[in-house]
Amino acid sequence: MLLETKALSKHFGGLAAVSLLDISVREGEVVGLIGPNGAGKTTVLNLITGFLKPSQGRIFFEEKEISHKKPHTIARLGIGRTFQLAYLFPDFTVFENIVASFHIHPRTGFWEALLNTSSCRAKQGDIEEQAAEIMRLVGLEPVKEALGRNLPHGYQKLLSMARALAVKPKLLLLDEPIGGMSPQEIAFAMTVIEKVRTQGIAILLVEHNMKIMPLCDRVVVINFGNKIADGSMAEVRQNEEVIKAYFGRDDA
Amino acid sequence: MTARRSPNSKRKEAKKLLAALAVVVLLCLLPFSTTSPYYLHTFIITFIYVISAASLRTILLSGQISIAHGAFMGVGAYASAILAKELDWSPWLTMPIGGILAMAFGATTGYPLTRVRAIYFSMVSLFLGLAIVALMGVLQGITGGDIGMIDIPPLSTIAIRGLPAVDFGASKVPSYYFFLILTFVVLLILYRIEHSHVGMSWKAIAQSYMVASSVGVNESGQRLLAFAVGCFFAGIAGAGYAHYNMVLTRSSFGFLPSINLLIYVLVGGAGSFIGPVVGTAVLVIVPEVFRSLKAFVPFVFGGIMLFVVFFMRQGIAGLFKQLSVKLSGTGEKEMPSRAA
Amino acid sequence: MTPETAVQTVANTLMLSAMYILVALGFALLMNILGILNFAHAAIYMMGGYICFELITLAGVNHWAALLIAAVSVGLLGFFIERFFFRPFLKNMNNIVIITLALIVILEATVNVTVGSFIRRIPSFVPGAFRFGNVSLSGDRIAAFVIGSLLLLAAFLFIRKTRTGMQMLAIAQDPEAAELQGIHTRRIFALTTAIGCALAGVSGSLMGAVLSLSPFMGDYMLVKAIEIVILAGIGSIGGVLIGGLILGALDASLPLFIGGSATDLIGLCIVIVLLLFRPQGLFGHEA
Repeated sequence: MLLETKALSKHFGGLAAVSLLDISVREGEVVGLIGPNGAGKTTVLNLITGFLKPSQGRIFFEEKEISHKKPHTIARLGIGRTFQLAYLFPDFTVFENIVASFHIHPRTGFWEALLNTSSCRAKQGDIEEQAAEIMRLVGLEPVKEALGRNLPHGYQKLLSMARALAVKPKLLLLDEPIGGMSPQEIAFAMTVIEKVRTQGIAILLVEHNMKIMPLCDRVVVINFGNKIADGSMAEVRQNEEVIKAYFGRDDA
Repeated sequence: MTARRSPNSKRKEAKKLLAALAVVVLLCLLPFSTTSPYYLHTFIITFIYVISAASLRTILLSGQISIAHGAFMGVGAYASAILAKELDWSPWLTMPIGGILAMAFGATTGYPLTRVRAIYFSMVSLFLGLAIVALMGVLQGITGGDIGMIDIPPLSTIAIRGLPAVDFGASKVPSYYFFLILTFVVLLILYRIEHSHVGMSWKAIAQSYMVASSVGVNESGQRLLAFAVGCFFAGIAGAGYAHYNMVLTRSSFGFLPSINLLIYVLVGGAGSFIGPVVGTAVLVIVPEVFRSLKAFVPFVFGGIMLFVVFFMRQGIAGLFKQLSVKLSGTGEKEMPSRAA
Repeated sequence: MTPETAVQTVANTLMLSAMYILVALGFALLMNILGILNFAHAAIYMMGGYICFELITLAGVNHWAALLIAAVSVGLLGFFIERFFFRPFLKNMNNIVIITLALIVILEATVNVTVGSFIRRIPSFVPGAFRFGNVSLSGDRIAAFVIGSLLLLAAFLFIRKTRTGMQMLAIAQDPEAAELQGIHTRRIFALTTAIGCALAGVSGSLMGAVLSLSPFMGDYMLVKAIEIVILAGIGSIGGVLIGGLILGALDASLPLFIGGSATDLIGLCIVIVLLLFRPQGLFGHEA
């Protein structure tokens, strides 16, 4: 089991945003986390990646506990993530955005960098090549010199994914990867996600738009912070509770 | 796709280096054209404050606007002065120690500062700077309190067999060259740091600490590093000032000097590396030109600040950048309308 | 500490607190309602004192009239500054910081150049001292406390009870909502600045008689004002009263034991710790 949460809970004051949640992701799996607005999906991602501390429960990655670790530590362990609002580095170009995200691999020491040793330059060249690869994979080549702040929405989402991939994750958390995209953009984004999956990276994605479902091996439905269904798309579709809850309608 | 270090950007870097060397050469020739100690003094003071302003900008890179930088200059200044005067150590030794002590102090006080961001950070840094100056007053036994310290030894004479001795007490010329070289070296170091992956992670934190954390950047660790590095060079500048001026008063390191440094950076343009250099040079030299009316210096100062705010939003360096962009014809490329 | 010293200290606390709060209140109003940290407030405080001084010594104006005129003058100065230096830049805080710094530099330099930097003193408002048993309190200090308290009372009543005052509070809570409700924010901004500056001017004049005048006296007061505002907390105007009392008590009593610098250091450390661990101060809401 790559990722596992046990009885994960988060309370804000009196409100339980997430309640006794058990979800799991296996290596190479694509799991969709769906549910109505405010169901707590982004909170789950924030808990897993350390941006929020659990009120209760535990989170395990590769069998080791990560419940109270800081975001940067969790990134180093191999979990990459995107943000719902497509945060990025606004003053960097697209290329710089990705290069900056290669903070973890490879590591150049402070003194190496200061003296600009040849090994440092080699590593830098290496990073830039890998960044270029990711740019190609994600389809950001056409805009590589654009500033983050000037990117249209669709490209912003792609850039988020590119950034997350720079971490060389074993698990990728995508928060609404196709939110607000046009049909062509959605189709393209889905091919990108498929490419990522074929590289063996497990994916946990949060989404409203049902169009992404064919990509998922498994689907977990939550409502009011509770898990109400867990299984294949076909199984979940027939679940009464799920039908009762606001399911989310197809866009377009 | 080719790597980013394309011939074009290599050429730009080479041009920058050449320009910098040209400036250095010109500055080297200055003492030959004028022996007036007054002009040399102005430049020496400029060099010292350039080091301070540039190191302040290093801290600014990580998104932390510190109003305590003057105080850390003071830490280095007093540390070096006390060690040299009371323990008779050579200023060549006490200067780097002053820098290290300032850095250590900065790291210790900077650690709790990483808990807060943005305006709160600036406010805490303001009070930190004031507290440091108050501490200098409390320790008046060794710092001389409000009366200050005098008789601080200058940099000791360099006597290498076969070469004429370099006496820092005799004329200002050796000090001029010393600070010129020191400034150049410091700027080189700061430039390298900024353009390394460390500098990049600082800029990342400044733009979005959340995204930076999500790609593995240790926000508090890196911010602390930026702060410590900035404080180190502030301490060096302060120590240099102590042994050049040979007199110290704690009012030189309080609120107004810290603000001055910030203004030098902002007016010169916080977005570019030479911004602090330009800003310091303009704001130190111009008031000195009006020195005969020394009392009116603050008006010039205030006037320049208002001018920059009302008319130049990106500072003086930003003005140059805009000009060079217009001249070279580079700009942002057309955006494709949608993905794929 | 003898009983006489204790009473003296309490009296000093009250007076000092009143003076601090006069300045801190204006600063807090500007911070909460206009959203700016007005460093120039230090200069306003100082100029109030100097205008009063010049009126009394050069023009022979009656003390109390001079006080009034000085207050109104700096109030008008504040009005002018708000209109031309603050209003165009309310959206950009970086610029405001530079502007208020430029203003304090220019104003302090103006006074320094025209009047000179050596220390002066405003002749007593209430000459002589009054005896209460074994304790002797100077007339000026009593006057400062009385006038300060009355003004503060008036100010608080104004803010809490009048319509304009409530509008000020509304803007402090949510400027956009206030604008949508039809409140003339620009008028309120002007009024707030004028009032805040006038109060600071009174404090400067009274302090100029109790202690002394110098072109840079405002710098010290500014630090106190900011400390009080942080103690009180963001968004709290009433808390300024408590914060002022606490700081006044500290500054009136501690120097007797550990000296001025150490007292300053303690005040600063308290504020630093507050900012790090309880940024909302004593009474503020979560930022």
